[in-house]
Amino acid sequence: MNYFEMFGLEEKFAVDTQQLAERFQTIQKTVHPDRFAHASSQEQLLAVKKSTVVNDAYQTLKKPLKRAEYMLTLRGVEMPSEQMTIGDNAFLMRQMELREMLEDVKFSDDVDAAVFEATQILDMEFEQLSKAMQLALFENSESSNLKACEDVRKLKFYQKLHLELERLEEQLFDD
Amino acid sequence: MALLQIAEPGQSTVPHEHRLAVGIDLGTTNSLVATVKSGLSETLNDANGHDILPSVVSYQEQGVLVGGDAKAFAISDPENTIVSAKRLIGRSLTDIKNKYHSLPYQFCGDENHPSFVTRSGKINPVQVSAEILKNLSQRAQEALGGELTGVVITVPAYFDDAQRQSTKDAATLAGVNVLRLLNEPTAAAVAYGLDNTQEGQQEGIIAVYDLGGGTFDISILRLNKGVFEVLATGGDSALGGDDFDVALVDYLIEQANLQRPLSPSMERQLLDQACKAKEALTLADSHQVSLSLADGGEWLGQLDKSTFEQLIKPLVAKTLRACRRALKDAEIEVCAINEVVMVGGSTRVPLVRSETEKYFDRKPLTSIDPDKVVAIGAAIQADILAGNKPDNEMLLLDVIPLSLGLETMGGLVEKVISRNTTIPVAKAQEFTTFKDGQTAMAIHVLQGERELVDDCRSLARFELRGIPAMTAGAAHIRVTFKVDADGLLAVSAMEKSSGVESSIEVKPSFGLAEHEIAEMLKASMNNAEEDMQARMLKEQQVEAARVIESVQSALAMDSHLLSEQENTDITQAISELAKISQGSIVNDIEKTIEKLNHHTASFAEKRMDASIRKALAGQTVDDI
Repeated sequence: MNYFEMFGLEEKFAVDTQQLAERFQTIQKTVHPDRFAHASSQEQLLAVKKSTVVNDAYQTLKKPLKRAEYMLTLRGVEMPSEQMTIGDNAFLMRQMELREMLEDVKFSDDVDAAVFEATQILDMEFEQLSKAMQLALFENSESSNLKACEDVRKLKFYQKLHLELERLEEQLFDD
Repeated sequence: MALLQIAEPGQSTVPHEHRLAVGIDLGTTNSLVATVKSGLSETLNDANGHDILPSVVSYQEQGVLVGGDAKAFAISDPENTIVSAKRLIGRSLTDIKNKYHSLPYQFCGDENHPSFVTRSGKINPVQVSAEILKNLSQRAQEALGGELTGVVITVPAYFDDAQRQSTKDAATLAGVNVLRLLNEPTAAAVAYGLDNTQEGQQEGIIAVYDLGGGTFDISILRLNKGVFEVLATGGDSALGGDDFDVALVDYLIEQANLQRPLSPSMERQLLDQACKAKEALTLADSHQVSLSLADGGEWLGQLDKSTFEQLIKPLVAKTLRACRRALKDAEIEVCAINEVVMVGGSTRVPLVRSETEKYFDRKPLTSIDPDKVVAIGAAIQADILAGNKPDNEMLLLDVIPLSLGLETMGGLVEKVISRNTTIPVAKAQEFTTFKDGQTAMAIHVLQGERELVDDCRSLARFELRGIPAMTAGAAHIRVTFKVDADGLLAVSAMEKSSGVESSIEVKPSFGLAEHEIAEMLKASMNNAEEDMQARMLKEQQVEAARVIESVQSALAMDSHLLSEQENTDITQAISELAKISQGSIVNDIEKTIEKLNHHTASFAEKRMDASIRKALAGQTVDDI
């Protein structure tokens, strides 16, 4: 049973997260180890196993990038390892520029404004790329799936930049 | 015509007995036990009518004293009277000495397994906690008039794996069956959550601010139709009201012109006076401190509220920083919080209340006694886990408080499971060899948020041996982390390319190895061998009864999922187990349970899958 089937959902990128959350809770109400705390060890072990899978399924479908990655896996497209470089030079250049932008934030005269601006730029570019990825996923051809896979990898770069920005923010505004 | 009776799914048609179950709040300063009686959760009193048991154990000539009796020796015999053992459980000697420079105990044992030297010999913090658990479970058995099926023990949400494991070890030593380790703030949310349900309020975001004697937790939960989903948790497992006392002691030493080192009983007296002053300043604006000095003289000093608040302000600020981080992890804005719940005796300090009220911009809930709310919540959970409320919809979904990872090249930590992941959880990570022909790999398990190994807590070290010799980078070693519903971690490793699962040796960095617990258990019994045997027999018989009951009720409901042959096999295995478990051979009972389990393995799986489908079917209909 794949994760979409587990939650009785159609296998597509657009997921009603509210519905997903409700079904997740409904399933956990039946399989969570707490339901079997007074049962035999065998049932307890089984409950831990099931509940673990349900948690993983929920986390996978809840987060958009993980969901996209999972859909590609179901279609037989494996993500290359994170160490593999991306061949798109223009993208790599852009990443370097964005990285420099983050470096400069702490030296800015108005740090608040610089953080705000950097967040907006990152969010906007992420959204654009995410839309392209969704279109490629929707098309579901051999070449479009490969493109979606490449887009997901690029989106992960943005995710990392976003994390770095958050860390920076924490450092700057702590105390 | 008589109507046929149809049972609810999950509900057995046989009315079952009420199982005795309690919740235990094993606190730094005080401990309590509570149970659900006729639908209400209430704390249980000792013979003198007190429900609070001071978490103090004293090793005296006449025997081991626990609670108020032990506390009486805290000043006169500090070396043999262990106070606040919870602060030391699962910690290294260096941790302890750095953090608490003035403890009156004599330590012995190695760096990772510190013990106290007492007149009863070497005693470790796990044994001290076991004495408290024993005392409370005895009290409960006397009050309820029977043996306990199990207990729920609460731990600070921010406890790491070593501290959780040590707490569970203490329960094993005390001979109590742990139904679940429950996070203290989650327990408090349960106590309040059910309270609110009666007022028709079933949904919302709750923040639980839990400042105890020695630990601080903040948990952010979403409450929805009986499900308590912890979104994020944070805190400091070494920050509590005791630290307010320590800050005051340092101040008093300066004011009274005393020089350290001071005698253990002087240190204890100072702590005592500091604690009294702190409590008095909850209501009063100033308080007189009196110390009896070593030369027989007396020192008197005036302490006013503003001085006290100045001293503790940095500590309170530290708790609010943790709140901010937890909210961020939960992706929740302060204004989205519907309720703030105050837990722990230290939330009585007026500055703590006013600062949290300011931060959350909302008056915190304090209607349930902050000292009792955790035990009350734990008892509600214990009642459900014991199986007394098969129709109850309540479900707690908790998280791990700290990230778990592995050491990689260069002393860096690679995270395998990140903090605030819902448990139970399993994650695997693949690693490879560094050198040609490498046949072994050291695996170092760590917990914490920092990037360097030295800044994280070392949980365990393994060695994976028998990797086939290959060129560097060719081997695929898969390390799997599993965290169960108690928040406890198990790690395993295997080499994938050869398909051979290599064995690993687990050496917990902290706490006790399994054989050490077994030895301590033996040592605590009068007729060690026989008692151990009797205990093991009892355990297997209880398990046998549990297995039989659950298989029978499964057959009653779902025997249609089985073929005739399977049905016969299972029925036979049940009667065999029923017979064998009357006997006294532990091994035979164990084997017969295994046999029955073998016959029911696929049945159990089928039933669980069917129950998922049934539950979802109901939901899909609701949606239309």
